[in-house]
Amino acid sequence: MKKLSLFTICLIILIGSWVFLRFVVGGIISVPIPSSVIAMYMGLIVIAILVHISVEDSQFREFLRPIHETLVEDRRRIHRRVLVVLIPLFLLGYTYSIIAQRANPPGSPRDAHPSPPLELTYKDEVIGTMQDVVNPYRHYEKDDPEEFKAHVENGRRVYHQNCFVCHGDHLDGQGHFAPYLQPLPANFQDPGIIPNFQESFFFWRIAKGGPGLPAAGTPWDSAMPIWEDTLTKEEIWDVILFLSDYTGYQPRTFGEAH
Amino acid sequence: MRIRTIALLLILFGTLAVFSPADAQNAPEASERGKEVYEDSCAHCHGVEGRGDGSAAENLLPRPRDFTRGLYKIRSTEAGQLPTDQDLFDIITEGMPGSSMPEWETALSTDDRWQLVAYIKTFYPGFKENETPPKQITLAGKISYAEQSVEIGKELYVELGCVECHGNVGRGDGTSAPTLEDSWGFQTWPANLTQGWTFRGGYDTEDIFKRFIGGIAGSPMPAFEGDSFLNFGLTAEESKRLIELENRDEMTEAEEEESGKFYEKMDAAVDIALTIQEGGEVSAADIQTYNDAMKIVYEKSWHLANYVKSLMPEKRPEPAIGNNVLRSQYVQGALPAIDDAVWETFEARYFPLVGQVVIEPRQFNPTIDGVHVKSFYNDTEVAFLFIWDDRTHTTDETDENTGKTLEDALAVQFPVKVPQGPTAPKPYFLWGGRLPVYLWHWKASMPEQVTELTAKGINNAEVQEVQGELEVQSDYTDGQYKLWVKRALKTEDKKDLQLEPSVFVPIAFSAWDGSNGDVDTKRTMTSWYTFVLEPVPSSRRFVYPPLIAILSVGLLFGLRAFVQRRNSEEV
Ligand code: HEC
Ligand code: HEC
Ligand code: HEC
Repeated sequence: MKKLSLFTICLIILIGSWVFLRFVVGGIISVPIPSSVIAMYMGLIVIAILVHISVEDSQFREFLRPIHETLVEDRRRIHRRVLVVLIPLFLLGYTYSIIAQRANPPGSPRDAHPSPPLELTYKDEVIGTMQDVVNPYRHYEKDDPEEFKAHVENGRRVYHQNCFVCHGDHLDGQGHFAPYLQPLPANFQDPGIIPNFQESFFFWRIAKGGPGLPAAGTPWDSAMPIWEDTLTKEEIWDVILFLSDYTGYQPRTFGEAH
Repeated sequence: MRIRTIALLLILFGTLAVFSPADAQNAPEASERGKEVYEDSCAHCHGVEGRGDGSAAENLLPRPRDFTRGLYKIRSTEAGQLPTDQDLFDIITEGMPGSSMPEWETALSTDDRWQLVAYIKTFYPGFKENETPPKQITLAGKISYAEQSVEIGKELYVELGCVECHGNVGRGDGTSAPTLEDSWGFQTWPANLTQGWTFRGGYDTEDIFKRFIGGIAGSPMPAFEGDSFLNFGLTAEESKRLIELENRDEMTEAEEEESGKFYEKMDAAVDIALTIQEGGEVSAADIQTYNDAMKIVYEKSWHLANYVKSLMPEKRPEPAIGNNVLRSQYVQGALPAIDDAVWETFEARYFPLVGQVVIEPRQFNPTIDGVHVKSFYNDTEVAFLFIWDDRTHTTDETDENTGKTLEDALAVQFPVKVPQGPTAPKPYFLWGGRLPVYLWHWKASMPEQVTELTAKGINNAEVQEVQGELEVQSDYTDGQYKLWVKRALKTEDKKDLQLEPSVFVPIAFSAWDGSNGDVDTKRTMTSWYTFVLEPVPSSRRFVYPPLIAILSVGLLFGLRAFVQRRNSEEV
């Protein structure tokens, strides 16, 4: 096999890194990396390449050889002609697309699970600290399964009279109003939600709704209602039991809620 | 006797009906598992005993189905027949758009869904008693979509009285629309035929066709049931002639006689159909008459289905999220008025509305699908055109329960101050809160006026003392509102939003359908969307790119010359 020229290798490294940053890494973390960040990494890679090839004079000359050949040698005439057309065309298109690009609205970054307050309240009544409050009906799960079932059933009723239009019949955030709300209603079937927080955290979210979020959670956008206005404390605890019973996920029972 | 009738029926429908298509399946025996899944996933709507009275039912319209009467809307079987097991399986799998009946494909396994079919059949004894399989509708004679078929369908649409319920262009705004009840006595609205995505049974031509032959059981929507609907027994020409005669103010004696003949012919055909349905004996000539009549019914239904299909876009429009924001276009000189043809050149942005279920009293059953918006601006003013469908034009009705005045209305919401930057706080999306919103409130009773409000909450809106000089025009035609509002970009009033090009402005909507009981918080709503006065594209885009291209050619030749010179020096 013919050995690749140094120039081609450098070119491959550059294009390869760009593809890697843009598509592979972006795909893994499932959000595209901002172009400014990519540009920064690409800058670093270019500098590294330049340093590498300029260490030795012979290496530098080896790097320049293909460029040199393309520019002057007769056997490269075709390459030359193609490049003299392609390069200006590319620049033409590229600059046009940058200048004519219409401005798009800035995305609004949102923390879906910002830190809760230290104290859990219902209306103005203090229930306890966020870390210590537990669901007062949870213990029936072991102590009195019949009673527990009654609470879950009550939670089911509360859910289907109030929540399913947004959070969906399957608790998967796909209620029939859901697709047209921004942000989308929470998906309780997502393993990243119920198991990661204490029941007190969910009590807080249900009682205070979207408007109860700190600024990082964009309280002005969330359609999640303030349920302490219409549900009793017991109904909120019961609906939490239902969420965990139906999905089969257990909320966290100790440690920090966030 | 019985065998003879069945044989007869087989001959009759052999030409028209295909029994059990290859992929149709039957449900297994009802089992404990079916009951278990039902009680876990369905009972809160459909009731433990299948009576449609679960705990969630009260909030919902259409009501969750009462399974004890054996009435099923979405079937592949002829009118008056029960659904096939496959029909039940399909509807459970796919759900019923335009209602709260969800799809269950994602949540339940295929086996569980079959168990459910078996279980819900136990609520209605008729399933067990009926030994003969239900007659299925054949799709064999499909008439493909074509201009001509659509034309015939359109004539039939008027002839058959679809207009009375579905309105002139199909927006569900016919004169009898507000008076309809289903078989359980609940109010029901005729489908808006321009919004196929709200059809319970899908909006492929085949789906629509089946609704005409099979009917929508339990709903007042008529279907062919061996009665005179679709002028059973008459050819296309004959039924056209009959309508023509009936639409005369006065008929001559000869014409009276002619129309009487048509009725006799229809009655005769209906008689034969009924005899057949009841298992009586009919002659070969009667069978011929019946088959001919059925053939025409099928043909008419295909034409109607094609026409209905022609009324709707291919699919629900994309909502105006992401980069698909509402962009007001710049024009020089006067802005177009409400009826200007220029609006047609502008593709509307679509803002789907959902029921307001955040604050009591809530609206669980919205009747307004969404609002379409277009906008132009010039150096001093901006004009918006808001378009939305509403089946009724309500200006002052009184709510039976609250005594409040109900009327149709629209509110367009902006922040008073545009938030600076993507993380800056916005006002609460539902009529503001700590931060106020600026609203345009239009009501159908005052069609040429928009009131400017400032609100700090859904129940905390104030009419601004200084009402700006907004120009307003509006129109209600065939179930569709058009509202045109024009305002100066900049105003003196500190409580108004000030507009300038290139600034992204949050925008949101609320709409009220008076005839659906919408008033105050009971309404449809959107969350925040975005709108911008799109800047005039810079003319620099024609200058810099060619300049750079030419420069790059120069550079390449320069480089070549440089290298060549160096080479010759080295030599
Ligand atoms: C109008 C639609 C709507 C209704 C009705 C609604 N929610 Fe929500 N809910 C949302 C939205 C949107 C979010 C996501 C935004 C947020 O976190 O505030 C959410 C978030 C939540 C969260 C936070 C999940 C998390 O990841 O932290 C919980 C818990 C919750 N909802 C429970 C409920 C319960 C229980 C009910 C019924 C009593 C209910 N919701 C009714 C729209 C709704
Ligand atoms: C959120 C409430 C709700 C839940 C949960 C629900 N349904 Fe329904 N269902 C409805 C409504 C409402 C209708 C009637 C829609 C209409 O008439 O337009 C309906 C109609 C039906 C129909 C009649 C279809 C037809 O052709 O007329 C069947 C069958 C059905 N549901 C089965 C089920 C099964 C099985 C489940 C559980 C897996 C279930 N539904 C869960 C609300 C619900
Ligand atoms: C008496 C009033 C009435 C008349 C007349 C009427 N319809 Fe309907 N139509 C309805 C109602 C009510 C519904 C809603 C049915 C439901 O889902 O409950 C409906 C629904 C429909 C649907 C949607 C089916 C679905 O899958 O949801 C179509 C299509 C339709 N009608 C077409 C027609 C055509 C074509 C005609 C004339 C042949 C017609 N209708 C005549 C009342 C009527």
